[in-house]
Amino acid sequence: MQHTLDVLIEAVPFLVGGVGTTLLIVIGGMLLGLVLGVPLAVGQVYGNAVTRRAAGLYVWFFRGIPILVLLFLFYYGLFHLIGLNLGAVAAAILVLGMTSAAYQSQIFRGSILSLSQGQFRAASALGMSNAQAIATIILPQALRLSLPGWSNEYSIMLKDSALVFVLGATEIMARTHFVASREYQHMPLYITAALLYFLLTWAGVRSLRTFERKVAIRGYGRT
Amino acid sequence: MFKKISVVAAVVAACGLMAGPAAAQKVVNGIDANFPPFAYVDKSGKPGGFDVDSVDWIAKKMGFEVSHQPVDWDGIIPSLLAKKIDLICSGMSITEERAKQVSFTDAYWEVKNVFVTKKDSTVTADQLLKGDKKIGVQQGTPEGDWLKDNKEKNGWNFTLRYYDSSPMAVEDVLNGRIDAAGMNDAPAKDAASKKPVKIAGIFGKVDTFGCAVRKEDTALLKKLNDGYKALMADQQWKDLIETHKP
Amino acid sequence: MENTPILRVENVSKSYNGKAVLKSVSLELNAGQHKVLIGPSGGGKSTLLHCMNYLVTPDSGRIQLDGREVNAHSRKELYAFRQQVGMIFQEFNLFDHLTALDNVAIALRKVKGQSRKEAETRAMAELERVGLADRARHYPAELSGGQKQRVSIARALAMDPKVMLLDEPTSALDPELTGEVVSVIRALARSGMTMAMATHQMEFARALADEILFMQGGEIIERGSPAELLAPGAATRTADFCRRLAEMGGD
Repeated sequence: MQHTLDVLIEAVPFLVGGVGTTLLIVIGGMLLGLVLGVPLAVGQVYGNAVTRRAAGLYVWFFRGIPILVLLFLFYYGLFHLIGLNLGAVAAAILVLGMTSAAYQSQIFRGSILSLSQGQFRAASALGMSNAQAIATIILPQALRLSLPGWSNEYSIMLKDSALVFVLGATEIMARTHFVASREYQHMPLYITAALLYFLLTWAGVRSLRTFERKVAIRGYGRT
Repeated sequence: MFKKISVVAAVVAACGLMAGPAAAQKVVNGIDANFPPFAYVDKSGKPGGFDVDSVDWIAKKMGFEVSHQPVDWDGIIPSLLAKKIDLICSGMSITEERAKQVSFTDAYWEVKNVFVTKKDSTVTADQLLKGDKKIGVQQGTPEGDWLKDNKEKNGWNFTLRYYDSSPMAVEDVLNGRIDAAGMNDAPAKDAASKKPVKIAGIFGKVDTFGCAVRKEDTALLKKLNDGYKALMADQQWKDLIETHKP
Repeated sequence: MENTPILRVENVSKSYNGKAVLKSVSLELNAGQHKVLIGPSGGGKSTLLHCMNYLVTPDSGRIQLDGREVNAHSRKELYAFRQQVGMIFQEFNLFDHLTALDNVAIALRKVKGQSRKEAETRAMAELERVGLADRARHYPAELSGGQKQRVSIARALAMDPKVMLLDEPTSALDPELTGEVVSVIRALARSGMTMAMATHQMEFARALADEILFMQGGEIIERGSPAELLAPGAATRTADFCRRLAEMGGD
């Protein structure tokens, strides 16, 4: 018992170091997913047949393939083939971000569709271009409505990030595994990892909720 | 507000893309950090082990810089071919299949494969192979391949279970899910020194470890071969063996 | 001068899924004129108004603003055209995430390129005009239906439209609240704004209209001054329709 405690105490700084990597991957991936997911959603709702089809294909591809397979395909395959020499963390952000974009686009799409079409028409009637109407009228509302779904996506992403050691990114899970192999203290270490993930989920969901309240519109959604 | 987020997102994404490995002329050794005592990452996060120390000594001797990068075992050869790492010196057995894709140095270590069982178990290697037992093994290893091939060839009826790493297999021995873990003798001794397990017997053929490099990296291959010759002739070799003995 | 109509609709047709909603409809709106569209629901009033603003693209026919035909294939021309034709919707369609003030100011900034300050000054003036200066910082969800519709009128007026199209502006309102909207529209009419309005409120129509257009089945089947169409005992479809509305307790 004493030995287990000693190992844990010594290992905690190393494991917590993995929190930084995990968070970098998750936050980077979420933001990349946002940047790609918004145009994907807009393309699916407002695009012509070609963009709708292309966006649909993208979503279908990234939702249809397990994240582990995608990590392998991109890191060892495509990225290498096109000469994109990325570090493991950057590659993980890219792959998780592109995957998250597919899921996020579905959240945004749902939010956009839940808005009344009348507001878009009113914006058009004032002489706004479609792009202006989407950017100034539709998206500010759709993104607010997406925040609960977004915090769900965050917790999923956090868990997906435990897979990126296949690329060599030493996040929480990989580090836990290393120390466990060396010290033969699997259970105590995995429990520590579970606690770290739990804390990250809680903190992330909590801050997103605070953000949601901060950007909330008075009386909105109280129909 | 959301405009700001998008800007931040773009910046973070851009930074992430640029954060690839610096193009320094440093040789990167990919290690299986779950393979003590040959390679591991200690609880402070520092890579260590017999192979890590050997390569460090050789690099110093031969005048190149080296760093050690933990890589997932399943992806370790793809990583080498994709130039994510430059060599693999991490208890890798020399096999025909692997030699088709990479070049190996001369063998620097001989390994026997052994079964690890619970300390109080009385089962023998023969009983494990021929009886109705459950055996765990790390996937993607020659000992795993040997077990699978010979099970079919000889009609043995043990059940083979694959694990991510041999310490995970040892954990399942302790949990009672499998009767034995098949693995190299050195990590087996490491396990026996830390857990209530023992070595129950030898199986398979004797493997040899070598370092793997890309086929075109002949200069590095020569440096490593020369380095190993020098190391083995040195007192340091015996010291390393002593230090890392489980 | 008076014989160049501000907005001219010529033989406009529109069908959805093979069903004709508008059948070659023509009308002209001269400067300062107020035309009121009445008729049963589904008669084509709303579609006609939407076509007059190109929010719905007609299948055929021509629409001219100030004697110039709009090229519906040029987005730029379309956007410029819509700016000059104000539209009021039955459902208000306020932007839910913006305050009353921003609802009015947003298009001034984004479409007319005004500075925030310029736009807000103008927006405030328009809100004052509809009697809502004290509600400028309220969000749509904090306004009553009548207030929302008045904000939407201010929003349209801020763009300095040449014509205002009003699609049943009081139909979605609690009858208690129609009065405030009606008086804003009346004041607008008195100020000389050119208007076309669809409504079911006959008293309002009678008081406002220079000409009433009775629409049914996608066609204008009667047109004339309120005095002609609604004269006591007049045997017109319009008068007939009004009597039935009155019997149903409408108005």
